[in-house]
Amino acid sequence: MAYRVIVIEEDSDMLEDIVATLRRSPDFEVSSTYKTAKAAIGPASMFNPNLFFINIDNEETLNILETFDSVFPGAYVLGMMAQWDALKAQRAMEAGITGCIIKPFTAKEVLEYLQLYAARGKHEPARFISFFSPKGRSGRTTLAALLALLIAEKTGERVALIDADLQFGDLPIFFDLAPKRTLVDATQDIKLLTPMTFAPYFSEIKKGVSLLASPDRPEYAELVSPENLVEVVAMTGNIFRYVLIDLPAGFNPLSLNVCRMSDVVFVTTMINSGFEINHVRKSLEMFNSQFDDDKVNVKTVFTRVNPFTEDQRLKIELKLNYPVDVMIPNEYRMISIANSGRLSRGLPPDTLLMKSVNSMADKVIAAANERR
Amino acid sequence: MAGTASNMIQRTSIIISVFSTSPGIGKTVIAINLAAGLANEGYKVCLADLDLQFGDVLNYLKLNSSNTVAGAQRAYLDNPENFRIENFLTEYRIGKLEFSILPAPRFIYDAYQTDVQILTSIIKQMDYYDFIILDLNSMFSSLNLAMLDMSTIINYIGVIDFLPALKNYKIGYDTLLRFEYEESKIRLIENRADSQKLIEGKDVERLLGEPFYHRFPNDFPAVNKSINAGQPLMFAAPDSRLTESFYNLVGRYTNRQSTVKPEIKSNGGLFSTITKGIGKFFGF
Repeated sequence: MAYRVIVIEEDSDMLEDIVATLRRSPDFEVSSTYKTAKAAIGPASMFNPNLFFINIDNEETLNILETFDSVFPGAYVLGMMAQWDALKAQRAMEAGITGCIIKPFTAKEVLEYLQLYAARGKHEPARFISFFSPKGRSGRTTLAALLALLIAEKTGERVALIDADLQFGDLPIFFDLAPKRTLVDATQDIKLLTPMTFAPYFSEIKKGVSLLASPDRPEYAELVSPENLVEVVAMTGNIFRYVLIDLPAGFNPLSLNVCRMSDVVFVTTMINSGFEINHVRKSLEMFNSQFDDDKVNVKTVFTRVNPFTEDQRLKIELKLNYPVDVMIPNEYRMISIANSGRLSRGLPPDTLLMKSVNSMADKVIAAANERR
Repeated sequence: MAGTASNMIQRTSIIISVFSTSPGIGKTVIAINLAAGLANEGYKVCLADLDLQFGDVLNYLKLNSSNTVAGAQRAYLDNPENFRIENFLTEYRIGKLEFSILPAPRFIYDAYQTDVQILTSIIKQMDYYDFIILDLNSMFSSLNLAMLDMSTIINYIGVIDFLPALKNYKIGYDTLLRFEYEESKIRLIENRADSQKLIEGKDVERLLGEPFYHRFPNDFPAVNKSINAGQPLMFAAPDSRLTESFYNLVGRYTNRQSTVKPEIKSNGGLFSTITKGIGKFFGF
């Protein structure tokens, strides 16, 4: 069955072009066209459309996009841009559209985009989740990987893992992958990419979970600018509903920028000498001084907690003077599983560790769905 | 460059950096015990905590000090002519042993503001020390590269108990060589060498194409005792094999002539081949 299409575009040449393209394809049936989004909202409902093309290179349109989402729930809405603009794309996604597309386009491209965006999951903004640790050897990467697998499994939505530990990222080892393209390539190319051309930079770990790997030489990290990294992360949100970012240990301009655009930052720590609690406290102070708004939610995670008791949680909280949001127990099998590249098969679900990560995944999913 | 009194006497310190590409593998413990061991042999030693954001040197020695890298940098910026690094150091004393410490900043924001060039100038002013030990963090940052450039030798530490750790050790070593640090300057040191693990030391050496210069045995209780007491191993755990291993490594760095106690037994043969031709202080 063909899509019943409404096109909203103020430039008449462009409008003519788009309509002609769509009419040549049996997959689309253009029901009506409008110059402005405002003019379309009332009359468009007469055609029972299920696909909108809306020019979003227009401030006024961006502001009323949310109305489309409520008047035409379930319809696909593609925001058209002459050039990829990460910020605009993000605003449009937050208003509930399906995704963005560069105009002009071919009918085949539209179908590909629709497929890409349908696979992504709910028409909701992406959830950006950063994993930070003060010093490393914290269980941060393992936790991010396990969560990515669980979220994909539970929601059926697409999950991206971005290995932003640029010098010494370990995720390809955990999943026994040898990625051809890396995050460094993506940040180099980002100005020329669209979600469609960006998607192949990811390596699939398992159905619904993909990895954007770190480079294999530490010095390539130098090539990544904080601005480009933020754009790469933002574009990832167009293809994936959940974006999990594994950051390098400690604070640097890259990690601070990514944290700033994240919905939640998990400060992950493993207690060994005991001084790690001081490091978390220092990190929380730093986050506090750097984020002047309440948008970023900083949560604490302690791994390999022993003894794994509420009493221990209270002890840590007392020393930290901040809530301990998540506690993960030790699991001796973890090392050999990660060592052998078998992480994607996970651990038996009845282990205490998996139960803890499972409930953490449930909380992450609930938070992602309650936002709007 | 600012001229200070200490610059009047032309001499050079031996700078030993402690570096790794994996965090949490014992760099700070190694740095502290090298400093203590060298001081114990009568040398004038300063230990600089250059894990600026999360340095643990003061923590592990149970010291508190408001003297830090951050204060030194501010003073240097205010008045480079009159800057004296002595005013920003902290002394660690136990029994007759004594060494100086340049502590890491107390706040991350200060650590974040640290300027590599200023810090380089500050370290250069410490040339009245026989040995300067640099405790670095696990990154190829511009600060660490500047410090590795200044170092007489680089102790490149690895704990090879985990596949990612092995990968990062190999990548780090290859990177050091690509950055054209002389092989003779890089000392491969395995920590927790005899702990139970899946990866054998000799396989690591085969992969790197280079033998370990030194291997520290694993003695978790001794390290724990040392950190809890805030004392170097020679005081907190004098009888530990790890303490002995530090004694031996320090002996190689000072060209100590006394009889060298045996290394970890299974590897005794390995070292005899490398120790040939030790010069005044080092093997080059």
